[in-house]
Amino acid sequence: MRRRSFIDVFFGGSLLATAAAFLYPVLRYILPTKALASSQKSVTAAKVGELPPNAAKIFKFGAKPAVLVNTAEGRLIALAATCTHLTCTVRYEADSGTLFCPCHNGRFDLSGAVLSGPPPAPLETYGVLVAGEEIVVARKS
Amino acid sequence: MKRPTFASLFVIGFLGLPAAGLAQGNSCLDCHKELDGALQAAAVAFAQDVHGQFGLSCRDCHGGNPATDDVDKAKDKSFKGAPKRERIPEFCGGCHADAAKMRGFNPSLRVDQLDQYWTSRHGQRLKAGDAKVAVCTDCHGAHGVQTARFPKSMTFPWNIPQTCGRCHADKALMASYLLPAGQLEDYRASVHARALFDKKDLSAPACNDCHGNHGAYPPEVGSVSGVCRQCHPSAGELFAKSPHKKAFVEIEAGECGACHGNHKIEAPTNALIGSTAGSACIQCHEAGSKAWTTAAELRSLLEEFESGTASAEVALDAADRKGVEVSEARFKLQDVHTILVSAKNLTHGLDLAEIRKAIVDGENALAEVEAAGQKALAEARFRRRGLVVATICLALLAAALALKIRRLKEKRMAS
Repeated sequence: MRRRSFIDVFFGGSLLATAAAFLYPVLRYILPTKALASSQKSVTAAKVGELPPNAAKIFKFGAKPAVLVNTAEGRLIALAATCTHLTCTVRYEADSGTLFCPCHNGRFDLSGAVLSGPPPAPLETYGVLVAGEEIVVARKS
Repeated sequence: MKRPTFASLFVIGFLGLPAAGLAQGNSCLDCHKELDGALQAAAVAFAQDVHGQFGLSCRDCHGGNPATDDVDKAKDKSFKGAPKRERIPEFCGGCHADAAKMRGFNPSLRVDQLDQYWTSRHGQRLKAGDAKVAVCTDCHGAHGVQTARFPKSMTFPWNIPQTCGRCHADKALMASYLLPAGQLEDYRASVHARALFDKKDLSAPACNDCHGNHGAYPPEVGSVSGVCRQCHPSAGELFAKSPHKKAFVEIEAGECGACHGNHKIEAPTNALIGSTAGSACIQCHEAGSKAWTTAAELRSLLEEFESGTASAEVALDAADRKGVEVSEARFKLQDVHTILVSAKNLTHGLDLAEIRKAIVDGENALAEVEAAGQKALAEARFRRRGLVVATICLALLAAALALKIRRLKEKRMAS
């Protein structure tokens, strides 16, 4: 191969390789498929009609669990699902209509207030919005 | 801070007594402010007193006539002066044990404080003639009394340990009762104190939450668990079903206190379980016994699971710092954390099969998180390698450009 051809091939190859090597990671970073946990302000928690009355669903809000409750009266309520005592995940108890922490039997009402047990603070509450067929939960502040 | 309601002012006005004092000035305060020492301090402190804020004046407790500047006339037949120390509970109880009187100021305020006080160790000793014990004013103050909801009040939660400690940390005073005086120091080193003082968690227990306030009394061995269960019901329920329950009754050990202590209750760690120094188990179980071996196994199970959880979290943190999205894995890790905390609590019940099952469930969930963490770290490594490759390619491009430019120059020179 002549020197000039070699340089042209070398140049063209390097250009292509550089473009590919740059574009791939750039695209991977520029087009993230998931929002960063800490910056997530709202999330689609469920579809309308997905939850029967007096039932609840744990969903991922950022990196943490949250709970969406459809009360017996059909009111939608969303709260953080991490207990304020030792950050275990709480669950909805349909018979009492309260949120219960299985780790140390902490109990909260649906406004997030502590009813019993060791939790020192109420659960954070979120706003709930029905947008078309989706139930969207958003942080209040 | 509580303000007088319209209803309370109406009642005060109807009764006439405090209103008269307010309307006609208060010669008690006028004179006492000119005096020295304690006589002056009482008048100054009363400006911040909750009773004054509700329209009450000196005469409502001490009698007399504050409408006149003549000292002799002010100290008329109704004048009671300062009560003797041993009379203070009845003195305060004159209103605070009277539901009809209290209703006009604060209908929700309890009126059984005096009855409770007589059941307290303080009250019992006072009745027996010991005037050194705490009376109302020792905990609430005399003329600067504040509601327990006011942060500067002596009875506000984070002031209570110091209020009780004024006597109970006094070594000389406590020695006269053959009582220890280290409770305040011990409490300050406890997990409860850290929650109350450092985290400002007003639900954390202070002295009165375990001993009572007006009816303060040292809990008997048998009632300690009942006290702790007010906030820790699940530990109590599990313990009641455990083989320890019967054994502790037999040896008259205070259930919770035997392992966790009383005033100096530290945050429980795995070190509290097991067969090594610092474990509560070896207080009773001999080395080599079945229970001793079980304790060691339990410690090992918990430590291994906890260590795996911590490692997974470290991996996720590392991946997070390198810019890899790991919220899904963190969401799963939350389940693992819940199982870990539950498993630790299950140790109160000593049902080994149940604890093992919880840990196996937790380890299965943990395996998923660990895999996600390793995948995220692999992704971060891949990106780093990509950066190295891109840099090499860039260097090659620069070299090729240099060669191309050199060749173009040579070509121009040749032509």
